[in-house]
Amino acid sequence: MAVTRCTKMAYASADDMVFGKAVTPVKTGLGLEIGAGYTTPEVNYAPRPEAGASKEKLIKEYERITTDIMARMVQIGAPAVVLETEHVQQMSNHPDWGAAVAHAQKTIMEDYHDEYGIKCALRHTIGDIRETRDFLALRGDKYSVFMEAFEQCAQNGADMLAVESMGGKEVFDYAILRNDMAGVLYGIGVLGSIDMEMIWQDIASVAKKNNVIASGDTDCAQANTAMFIAGGLLDKNLAHTLAIIARTISAARSLVAYEAGAVGPGKDCGYENTIVKSIAGVPIAQEGKTSTCAHSDLMGNIVMQCCDLWSNESVEYHGEFGGTTVQCWGETLAYDCALMNVALDSGNEKILRDMFVASDIYRDAQGYVLAYPNAYRVGQAIAKDGNDIYLRAKNAAIECINIVEEGARGKLELSRFEAKALADAKAAFEALTDDKEKFMSDCLTKYKQEVKVFKPENYDL
Amino acid sequence: MEVRHLIDIDPSGILVRYNVKMEKEMTPEEAAEELYPKDSMIYPIAKAIFEGEEDDVVEGLEKAISSGKDPISLINDALMVGMGVVSRLYDEGVIFLPNVMMSADAMLEGIEYVKQKAGKSPETKGKIVCHVAEGDVHDIGKNIVAALLRAAGYDVVDLGRDVPVDEVIAAVEKEKPLMLTGTALMTTTMYAFKEVNDKLLEKGYRIPFACGGGAVNQDFVSEYELGVYGEEAADAAKIADFIKANGDNIVKLREKFHRH
Repeated sequence: MAVTRCTKMAYASADDMVFGKAVTPVKTGLGLEIGAGYTTPEVNYAPRPEAGASKEKLIKEYERITTDIMARMVQIGAPAVVLETEHVQQMSNHPDWGAAVAHAQKTIMEDYHDEYGIKCALRHTIGDIRETRDFLALRGDKYSVFMEAFEQCAQNGADMLAVESMGGKEVFDYAILRNDMAGVLYGIGVLGSIDMEMIWQDIASVAKKNNVIASGDTDCAQANTAMFIAGGLLDKNLAHTLAIIARTISAARSLVAYEAGAVGPGKDCGYENTIVKSIAGVPIAQEGKTSTCAHSDLMGNIVMQCCDLWSNESVEYHGEFGGTTVQCWGETLAYDCALMNVALDSGNEKILRDMFVASDIYRDAQGYVLAYPNAYRVGQAIAKDGNDIYLRAKNAAIECINIVEEGARGKLELSRFEAKALADAKAAFEALTDDKEKFMSDCLTKYKQEVKVFKPENYDL
Repeated sequence: MEVRHLIDIDPSGILVRYNVKMEKEMTPEEAAEELYPKDSMIYPIAKAIFEGEEDDVVEGLEKAISSGKDPISLINDALMVGMGVVSRLYDEGVIFLPNVMMSADAMLEGIEYVKQKAGKSPETKGKIVCHVAEGDVHDIGKNIVAALLRAAGYDVVDLGRDVPVDEVIAAVEKEKPLMLTGTALMTTTMYAFKEVNDKLLEKGYRIPFACGGGAVNQDFVSEYELGVYGEEAADAAKIADFIKANGDNIVKLREKFHRH
């Protein structure tokens, strides 16, 4: 499929963006429409450690998980639900395992849909298995297994296909631990985008052939790594100002999936999704206060601002007082969605959206930039040079820095360390060329030398 | 101009930036300055380590060696002293992880230089084997652990990522390390830790097995006999130091490092 770059904003203004509504809603699964005026819980889960021992054990585990979620949703009267199965590596390395799990899950979901009319859909997120022990192997033999995993899941019950791809991670991992902004830009914005352009044309073709939805990709492997390393307010592993720069660059990267044929919803862990939605108009999934089972991120409420699916990120399947974990977290998600849907039905959605924003915006530079009016500005910076994957990523970073600087002159407090890291990053970005070819050539030389595991052939360079 | 929102709040009553409030008066550079050794030959080396300037480290070492200092003794007397400043300020929250990583790179470059000059390898605090669980390719956590252990003076045998259980066992048999570390991001890959534990016990190895990473939690690590849970990457060097000082009793290690 062809790649059509995004050079315009999908929304005329930031204020037009709200949860539960997208410019281009997506029909999928059993009676479900995403972004069409209501929000839906998306429950995500991980099998217990010992369940990976065999194909049979894994299938059984996912059958339990699926039945538990569907039963609880019916018990509490939730009108709709999405299940997201993020593949454990065994399921993507053996496409028939992933397919068998998808088939088992969909069979159960169809039964519940037939009996109760609950709207539901199944998302399968294939693991990016394109690696050897020593290197990323983005092209070559592993690629065919990777694509086969999408194909088999699509044929066996998955309604939506997704991935969290790894392109650029080898350079990013090196750069983020050394405050190297050129490396972060190269890893996420350039190498990541090159890789996504290749895989998403193929995933979109698989989806089209099998009449399912190519949903999206997020920069979990890089921007979320930065967010995770940055941690909470007292952690001292990475400046939060650098984590948000990585995040805004990731929006330019995640956009590539939609330019190559995906239609959404973007995946929950893509905190860059509000930026992406502002440009591409696609529905998005988000996670926040209901993903504390997986990680803490200082953005519990604010990311609900424009979500269409509301997710818990991932929870290990086991028992709690209130049921199994998937039941407890699924129920919590459903109540959040009910609140948002009441707001939508009663015309109060913008008030609720702005309350979500106000409750987090000054907590941290990350939330400040991702607040929808600022996210929209980052979107504009990307779309302005949408045809150039380097310039648009660089624009995103510079606009992010401008926004944080403006915030720090107001109510956004920064620690001295965060402010210094921001100033250093600003100097680094301002020193970069506007010429993509020169940047590419300089980085190729530098990172081939410094990053032992960087293989340019992964990117056809 | 700051963006104005429909709902404007006074964040001071709703959101507390404890880190901003806790900030110390001194800048990191000022704090480091107070800790550098005064010896005019050693000072520039320690400062170059703190600043992560590899070329300056080598230049400082060259001068010190030319003035008659023994190359190998410079590891403990200059490079580790500079790294000690870095580690202390990191522990105190004055500097952040990227500073430590850059300093560690500079220190390793310095060690390579003095090894060449001396024509022999220095003694280390001990050997530690690091790996990422079989099936798991996420290695940034392991890389941080390895860098922090090296920065603390340990000899790290880095087996890499997605390491088969038998290869971990073979490395322990061959290297006889002070301890083993394992990291994992996913629930179904961290199950390999249990297999490593069982095979080590079968062969009679009772070394501490420090585990951590994204999905890894204390309850899981406590399930296997040799497991010691590390919540943060920086715990690895602290666990190693504790073993050096107090022996490798797993119960004591758990008492010290298990937080929940």
